Amino acid sequence: MFPKLDPLLHSELRLALMSILAGVESADFTYLKAQTGATAGNLSVQIDKLSAARYIIVEKGFKGKMPCTTCRITQTGLEAFENYVKALQEYLR
Amino acid sequence: MELNNEMTAQQSLRIITETMNNNRRDILRNSAKYYILWGALLTAMSLTVFLLWHFTGKPVWNMLWFAMPAIGYPLAFLLGKKDEAIPNNLIGKPTGHVWGLFGALSITLSAIAIFLVPMPITLIIVILFGCAESVTGLLLKNWAVIIGGFILAVGGAVAAMLLKGAEQILLFTLAGIVLMVTGVIVKSQYK
Repeated sequence: MFPKLDPLLHSELRLALMSILAGVESADFTYLKAQTGATAGNLSVQIDKLSAARYIIVEKGFKGKMPCTTCRITQTGLEAFENYVKALQEYLR
Repeated sequence: MELNNEMTAQQSLRIITETMNNNRRDILRNSAKYYILWGALLTAMSLTVFLLWHFTGKPVWNMLWFAMPAIGYPLAFLLGKKDEAIPNNLIGKPTGHVWGLFGALSITLSAIAIFLVPMPITLIIVILFGCAESVTGLLLKNWAVIIGGFILAVGGAVAAMLLKGAEQILLFTLAGIVLMVTGVIVKSQYK
């Protein structure tokens, strides 16, 4: 019996976002947009979904006079990501 | 949601692997310019101190070393302004801490050596430098940097005891070159 995959992570862009955030302290919106190649609108929607599930924390602030959105993975998000990878490995065995 | 075929699982793993690798590569490649900046500054400063000391015979020119952080940190800040969005990762942050600690120890011990308790400061700093370099190599998993740091610490310590006066300063010129080479290695390792 294969483990169920987390539907929230089983999406290309959300998975890419979590893969980036799992390896850094935090990353701002501009960086995430550049790394994923996603549009700003799509990225915002996916970030909101991950944030609603408490997988990431979104902080809105300013860098100088420019607005800046920073994302950080939570412990819940990290555990979900690890479980997702373990489940994938089960499928590949 | 369950996977229907093996291919989808492979695609998911590929996304994870590629994204993590690209992210790690971009962050570390970005850090290379700081090694090159501090290496170039150390080389230029050491040559300046050496030449002034050598031609005037006055070791007081060593005071110029205290200008190095005053020049280096604003330059590093300006260099970093272009890439404000680059985050810290699990390698970039500890290597930054290692070199920050090296800088803090070097400045503090130099000040103590000059104003309070005389000590063989070139010997101490060259060993600290070699250690910082080797630890950087361990974090980057790069044997050339690990061994380079070890050789610099041991060779530099021996040379610091054998060389006298202004000639000791040339050890820091060598250290500056090693730092620049580290930057080039990091840049090529993560291109």
